[in-house]
Amino acid sequence: MSLPQKLQEIVDDIASMSREEKLETLISYAESFPVLPERYKNERNQMEAVPECMTPVFLIAEKQDDGGLIFHFDIPPQSPTVRGLASILASGLNGCKPEEVLSVPADFYTPMKLEEAVSGQRINGFRGVLAHMKQVAVKAMSA
Amino acid sequence: MSYAHPEYLVDTEWVANHLDDPNVRIIESDEDPLLYAIGHIPGSAQVDWFSTLQHPLRRDFLTKEQFEEVASSLGITNDTTVVFYGDKSNWFACYALWLFQYYGHQNVKIMNGGRIKWEQEKRPLVKKIPSFSRTTYSAKEADKSIRAFRDDVFKQLEEKKPLVDVRSPKEYSGELTHMPNYPQEGATRAGHIPTAVSIPWAQAVNEADATFKTPEELRALYEGKNIKADGEIIAYCRIGERSSLTWFVLKYLLGYPTVKNYDGSWTEWGNLVDAPIEK
Repeated sequence: MSLPQKLQEIVDDIASMSREEKLETLISYAESFPVLPERYKNERNQMEAVPECMTPVFLIAEKQDDGGLIFHFDIPPQSPTVRGLASILASGLNGCKPEEVLSVPADFYTPMKLEEAVSGQRINGFRGVLAHMKQVAVKAMSA
Repeated sequence: MSYAHPEYLVDTEWVANHLDDPNVRIIESDEDPLLYAIGHIPGSAQVDWFSTLQHPLRRDFLTKEQFEEVASSLGITNDTTVVFYGDKSNWFACYALWLFQYYGHQNVKIMNGGRIKWEQEKRPLVKKIPSFSRTTYSAKEADKSIRAFRDDVFKQLEEKKPLVDVRSPKEYSGELTHMPNYPQEGATRAGHIPTAVSIPWAQAVNEADATFKTPEELRALYEGKNIKADGEIIAYCRIGERSSLTWFVLKYLLGYPTVKNYDGSWTEWGNLVDAPIEK
């Protein structure tokens, strides 16, 4: 089964890169991480406390007229790896329908072999971020 | 009152004044492996707790020979002063220091406040990766007096000696089985090792700038929970990283003579068949 087109392109692109290019790409995704729009700052403050040692990931989805979702994140700058992963996911999935978000397999990221560039344990953070996005997508379906 | 072994701690100013000192190697060790690539203290090297310091196959550290290779490639000699710093109040900096001590490197220090304080003071961070002239490092045999294995923990229980659980209160109480998003660090059972007292690691550091609390505050914190200098103490957390910070505090800031870090920690104990658990 293939991924939503944009995400598939990103995965294929990164998969073909050298170790150095992967590192640079992840850094640029982390550095271009968009700030949370002002209108969501209040909701951000109502977010539940997250247990220590897990990076707090705040996430909200806007449903567009065509049913596509636009994800907005808030992740602290001290966690660039998670920012980078969320940024890749947002780039790959923004505009997708909730059903398409739900169709992404939990291990979609393995072909990229990003663990060549950063410690493999942390790349598993993709699972957490994607699972979080799917929860939001499910809510959006019933909204 | 001062710290028992203040020579194991340096401040950010000291590091700023030793950036070009050939006898000093500054090493960043983070939870987030991308931080170093985004910007690090000029001239500093990086070790990653997992990809640099763990054995590639077994759940263990590098072997002595592998450690010698890492130290040699970082241009470290047996006399180099190695200063560690990192994110999250120096969790993984303490972990790296503990491993260097495990293989006998004596001259080690923590930069008090770590990355947080360095950034708060707007000191320089660079992307340039330094290169080091290779050395021939010679490690000592592993110092097992600072590392506890599961059998040491069983013995500790039999002998009714002190255990410190440094995880968050919800992990200690068993409400949380494992950390979401850390699928490789799970345990099938929740709770804590019987008799262990709960002293979350974060109570030893100041939240504002990640520096260690004062000697008086630290003494009150641990002695208040009956963790005293004359006890032979074992500290643990989930994988041994947070407890290496507590190990550092007890051993060098308070000067307790016998402290071990149990790096198997909850991911071993909470999966171990027949091991006693309390909730």
